[in-house]
Amino acid sequence: MQNNYMRYIKGCLIIRLGGDYLERFFNICRQHDIYLWNIRRVDEVCTCEVYAADFRRLVPFLKKTGTRAKIIKKTGLPFYLPFFKKRIIFFAGVIACLAMLNHATGYVWAIEYVGNLQISDDELTDFLKQEDIRYGVKKSDINCDEKEKRLRERFANVTWTSIYFEGTKLYVEIKENEKTEPVVTAVRGTDIVADESGVITSIVTRNGVPMVKAGDSVEPGDVLVSGGVPIYNEEQEVTGYHIYDADADISIRTLLEYSAIQKKAYPVIYYTGNDICVGFLEAFGRHIDAMPVYDWFGGGKNFPYEVVTEKKQLILLDNIYLPIYYGKISKKEYYIRYMTYTDKEMETLLSDGFEKFISGLEEKGVQIVEKNVKIEKNSDGMEIIGALLVIKPTGEASSTNLHN
Amino acid sequence: MNRRSMLKYDYMNAGERFADAFSLPKDMVVNATLIHMIGKSDVFVENFKGIISYTCHEVLIKGYGVKFCVCGEGLLIEHYCNDDMKISGQISEVRVIRET
Repeated sequence: MQNNYMRYIKGCLIIRLGGDYLERFFNICRQHDIYLWNIRRVDEVCTCEVYAADFRRLVPFLKKTGTRAKIIKKTGLPFYLPFFKKRIIFFAGVIACLAMLNHATGYVWAIEYVGNLQISDDELTDFLKQEDIRYGVKKSDINCDEKEKRLRERFANVTWTSIYFEGTKLYVEIKENEKTEPVVTAVRGTDIVADESGVITSIVTRNGVPMVKAGDSVEPGDVLVSGGVPIYNEEQEVTGYHIYDADADISIRTLLEYSAIQKKAYPVIYYTGNDICVGFLEAFGRHIDAMPVYDWFGGGKNFPYEVVTEKKQLILLDNIYLPIYYGKISKKEYYIRYMTYTDKEMETLLSDGFEKFISGLEEKGVQIVEKNVKIEKNSDGMEIIGALLVIKPTGEASSTNLHN
Repeated sequence: MNRRSMLKYDYMNAGERFADAFSLPKDMVVNATLIHMIGKSDVFVENFKGIISYTCHEVLIKGYGVKFCVCGEGLLIEHYCNDDMKISGQISEVRVIRET
């Protein structure tokens, strides 16, 4: 007994038989190893199935038994061959497409990082670049186990890693150690120096020797807190220094200048409504779009365009990322017209800007003691000039000149 | 030998007795037709000579020295080749017709 797949591959015929000696015909076929199946007799109509290749062999037995045979239906692969032959280009294309797909899926076309909180994506990308893993690299060239080990060695706070593929996408999954130990930095020996001139209003020293007190005037570069703590001998002479990193909260009262200009004329973009939207295709670094065709037909060269490109990657079955990008390019034609502000509008804009500046200072912990600003009108527009008396934190770290 | 065994041997020929005595398969020794029936819809027949008649109600099969009649409704010969044949349909009866 042969299965239906074999029958389909070999090709079979459904034939209708008629005559008085059908049983004899069946027995002769059997004796000559001609395989018949699905012999069905309803009233006087008898049908059976036979391999297409055996049909010619039936002819002498049909004649011998006086049986008439008529082919009702042809089924199986051999009967589709002419169909395939006519459409050879189509099937060759399908096969070529599958072959290309198979080839393209052997490479990495997307990388995703999972579980990184402290380590940024850029750091992981740099690590992968060092390991020669980038878009378009062969999947078979990547030894995931080895790269996982390297990743753990490179980042000390990574406790677990997994590098794996899903389709053409490379997943780098990591788990970071949430309990980080406090950072112990080496003592470099630094002073705190003034970065602007003014009067010191308060100084609270945590580490080091204060060199100024509240009420002292300082200039930029003056040492406010020294990182060198002197060591005295019995005669109260300095024999050396203990070097620390100076640390203190110092406030200074200083003048802060502020100025801003508001021009009378300002540009406004007007869209003409002459928009173009064309599709594009990008494959293996080659870009194809219909924009040159539009330009060739002389489509709007009078005004500039605002260009927005939407780009998507071709993904098959959610995970197979292909190096083929598609999308649309939208171009909006516009022109610029210069408008002028009124005096009141310019005043409002300058005042708003100044208010923003003040609120920004307050967020940084700067106290405003006195404000002295004025708005002046000139030929181009308006200008706001002023000086603020503020109390603000000051001091910047600088290497100390003292030694042990 | 008890009475029951004696009755059995009365209608068996020498070949069958031989096969019985040595526990040999009778289809090999005396060319007996082998019929397997699966449920009430399929019959496999092996070691037969051919079909004598076939209708949708009855298939008459020629064995060696005996005929078998498979009766039923909508009988279909699913396959028919040199080694075996399979009949399927609503089988109601398988009858043995002894040739005298």
